[in-house]
Amino acid sequence: MTSKWIGKRVPRLDGPERVTGELKYMTDYHYNNMVWGRVLRPPYPYAKIKSMDTTRAKNLPGVIAVLTHEDIPGFNGFGIVVPDQPVLCEDVVRTTADAVALVAAETEEIAEEALALIDVDYERLDAVTDAEFAITEQAPKLHADGNIHSHVVIKNGEVEKAFQEADIILENTFHSPRQMHAFIETEGGWGILEKDGTLTIQCPGQYAYRDRLQIARALAWNPARIRVISSPVGGAFGGKDEITVQIYLALLALHTGGRPVKIHYKREESVIAGMKRHPFKVKMKTAAKKDGTLLANQVLAIADTGAYASLGGAVISLAIEHSCGPYKIPNVDLEGYCVYTNNGIAGAFRGFGVNQVCMGIETHMDMIAAELGIDPIEIRKKNVYHQGDVSSLGHVVKGSVGTWKTLEAAEKCDLWINREKYKAEISEPWKKRGVSIATSFHGVGMGIGLPDYGAASIQLLPGGRFEVGVGCEEIGGGNGTVYAQVAAEILQCDVTDIVVVQGDTSRTLDGGTVTASRSTYTGGRAVATAAPNMLNLLTKAAGEIFGVSEEQVRVADKKVVVYDADGKADSSLSFAEIYDYLYENRRDTRVEGHFMLPKEKKEIKGSGGAPHRLYGYLTHVVMVEVDTLTGETEVLRVVSIPDAGKVINPQGLEGQAEGGAVMGIGYALYEDTIIENGYHKTTNFSNYILPTVKDSPQIETFPVEELEETGPFGAKGIGEVVMIPIIAATISAIHDAVGVRIKHLPATPERVYAALKARKDQTNQSNEENVM
Amino acid sequence: MMVSEIDMISPETMEECLQILNEYEQEVRLLAGGTDAVVRMKEGHWRPKLWLNIKGLRDLRFICEEKDGIHIGPLTTHTDMVQSSLLQEKADVLVHAAKEVGATQIRNMGTIGGNLGTASPAGDTIPALFVLDAVIELSSVNGIRRIPIEEFFVGPGKTVQHKSEMITNIIIRPQEENEIGIFEKLGPRKAQAISIVNVAISLKMSGDGWQCAGGKIAFGSVAPTVIRARKCEVLLTLQELNEEGISNIASLAWKEVAPISDVRASAAYRRDMSTALLERGLLRLMKRWEDR
Repeated sequence: MTSKWIGKRVPRLDGPERVTGELKYMTDYHYNNMVWGRVLRPPYPYAKIKSMDTTRAKNLPGVIAVLTHEDIPGFNGFGIVVPDQPVLCEDVVRTTADAVALVAAETEEIAEEALALIDVDYERLDAVTDAEFAITEQAPKLHADGNIHSHVVIKNGEVEKAFQEADIILENTFHSPRQMHAFIETEGGWGILEKDGTLTIQCPGQYAYRDRLQIARALAWNPARIRVISSPVGGAFGGKDEITVQIYLALLALHTGGRPVKIHYKREESVIAGMKRHPFKVKMKTAAKKDGTLLANQVLAIADTGAYASLGGAVISLAIEHSCGPYKIPNVDLEGYCVYTNNGIAGAFRGFGVNQVCMGIETHMDMIAAELGIDPIEIRKKNVYHQGDVSSLGHVVKGSVGTWKTLEAAEKCDLWINREKYKAEISEPWKKRGVSIATSFHGVGMGIGLPDYGAASIQLLPGGRFEVGVGCEEIGGGNGTVYAQVAAEILQCDVTDIVVVQGDTSRTLDGGTVTASRSTYTGGRAVATAAPNMLNLLTKAAGEIFGVSEEQVRVADKKVVVYDADGKADSSLSFAEIYDYLYENRRDTRVEGHFMLPKEKKEIKGSGGAPHRLYGYLTHVVMVEVDTLTGETEVLRVVSIPDAGKVINPQGLEGQAEGGAVMGIGYALYEDTIIENGYHKTTNFSNYILPTVKDSPQIETFPVEELEETGPFGAKGIGEVVMIPIIAATISAIHDAVGVRIKHLPATPERVYAALKARKDQTNQSNEENVM
Repeated sequence: MMVSEIDMISPETMEECLQILNEYEQEVRLLAGGTDAVVRMKEGHWRPKLWLNIKGLRDLRFICEEKDGIHIGPLTTHTDMVQSSLLQEKADVLVHAAKEVGATQIRNMGTIGGNLGTASPAGDTIPALFVLDAVIELSSVNGIRRIPIEEFFVGPGKTVQHKSEMITNIIIRPQEENEIGIFEKLGPRKAQAISIVNVAISLKMSGDGWQCAGGKIAFGSVAPTVIRARKCEVLLTLQELNEEGISNIASLAWKEVAPISDVRASAAYRRDMSTALLERGLLRLMKRWEDR
């Protein structure tokens, strides 16, 4: 059957309003009678609170409320997995990102002034700022159970024996940056105590139902009395997965006499208080045979989660699960720690730990290939697993696997075939070019141990349009258009006849998070599960109207058609007419669809949730040009080859592939939130260096489609892997260009220059030795 | 002081503005394009009692050639300079530098007078003004004084300008025949970033060949103020500016600078980069000279 909407370049339904700026994010709203909320942060990364006095702040004219931990009716903590982060600190602060008190005032300025009038007496403590030190016995314990939040281990085969038998062994340590989500809309939102005593929280998020539960726990309220509206979102990338300001808004709203309260972080506050990517130290030892067959991989990864866990445990688990790449390595010894320090807070971020380890294994693949004189694509093809193979973790991979095809496509792309020609076309004599590839993968959906389900509702509207409700928020990726396409395909109507509603506990069902590369798969499949129920509802109603059996009625091309005994179309009804009939007869016009995501049955012991049932795969080819005088690297061309299963919207996929590539380039070359001794040195976008359009290369996207039989029309997920292999590929391309390997990211001009200089000094030295 | 408590006056004439500067007794600050001032206000560093908003003083926005040089009004924006055919022809180094400032929005708002008044050691137009021997005209109710740019800056954020004075003119020398200039900037990315090191170079070539008759070099972001590299300048005329000659001159540059380490770069890197940028700038200039 040919598709009308699936696989078509349908322009984003919300595109024009986003491009023109007409779309209002929730933090763009203003209400009459509103008040402003602000959060007091501690001046120290680690300190005891000896006493707190809010009298002076409360007496400032224009101040409406000043709240401390004493004003929290319920549980003083939040956290998706372990609620170890205080809503408002009571006796100790563990990071400058902590919240100590809340203020509501007539203006933002008065609120700000009131913060300065809250008297807190601190006793400073020695901050723990090194993750490796944090693990040791000497380190002060930041939490009751110590500084190791989680420890995961996967072992398979016998690594030591394999190392003895190997022809080549590589051992390196890689450091990764504390990347910032840097969404256009900083954390913020509204809290409104409604006239009926219920609470509305309008706040961008990535899972309204879970946010609601966390708010309810802090308030000791029945969650049903809280409505959370969490979409649309001005960018999230994982940074709005955890609670941001929802609980602050709820607490303040209870003290403003029904006046709406707004909090909206300034960029400077977002830099300090917001989640970041976990900086990792990854030690990796990889062994291979002379012919390039991988024999063993040993990994020790240490993730700095900062003061609180959030999703840090899951991040290190996913990192370890992916630390051997999409390869078959028979002997592995993989170990990861998620560690508390006083360095801000780290949590979910696109890639979720895989970025950090991919850099290690892909760099090693490149080094092994170079040392053995094997083509870098050949060595990968030799070691990849296929569907039905046993992975490095020791499980049989049941989902579709596209790595081989993406490598094949890479081998045949213009940039790779003609790389020597392109490399010779340097723009100035002191510049050098390099081309490199890397491949990676990323789990789709939650791992073992987390129930994972999807749900959608479809309602027939007056006039014959449909409202499709999906919990997954619109965080920028364009999932709403995907849902409309899936619905229009099955309901045989135009995408413009579909009204998509997302992220609202009063209008959408609980269908899980918009994270884990899952929203196309989960939301799409949920819509595809609900849509046949709507078809039934339509045909049943038409059957009743015409007094014929349902079998004689079919939905085709925007109407319901009745067929006579010979199978010839007899007469038809529009969806609008069906609606009128249902409305007049007080009949239900709404259907739902629910399903459970497929899971592996057996968890790999000690892995913290591995393996996943589904993975998305992707290969990047990258060309860079390095200025040997200054160390500046420019990425000139990128080819992105995703295996996303069936591509539902090629235009949306390209958007993800291009945005992901640029985010990966940022990680590889520019971005780092610098924290020294627990204090942020990075303050805002003047010194947090994001790639701009001038730093963005030409990006081509060539999808291969390994259909996933469980997915909607064969789709998988791609939201995260689009930014992963490009990191290692960019760094390898620098090596291809100028012969130095940067293992401490980002590869800033200064780091590349220092490596070039060190190599030059070394060469000079050895030349001198030769002379002597 | 809260932002909402700050007063603002928008004088209609320069005379009115100078009167206010002379008479107002509390802290007053001039506001031109606001691209620096507003940021500093937001950060709490600048909270004067009064903003004197001079953006509307049209008489202070001009670029014209006079007998004593090219006059540039302090309210001339970076975009004005980039688009000026007079500057393109006779002050290419300043045009290059103005192009490197911020993004389009910043170039449309930010002014050359503001860039001088802010006195950042990393200000991008300032090295170009150094190699064009700029003279800064300061006016007050008591009269006018003219300060050579090398005497204008006292330290980071500090100039010889008095509280009662404002910049009313910037006079640069037009480049001569066979004089070519370039502005080189090293930032952490290609655009919209504060310079790690920058350098302006203007060379007078002696007819054909690679012989230079004299030139000026000024570095930014490697000392408390922008500085001239006088040893390198002397060497410009002592040898041909071929690859070897350029390398020799550039290798001296690090001795002329005194950078510090900050969140953007280490002092050691800045020192090496003064050499690298001078080398790159001279190589690019000679390529242009060859291709002319």
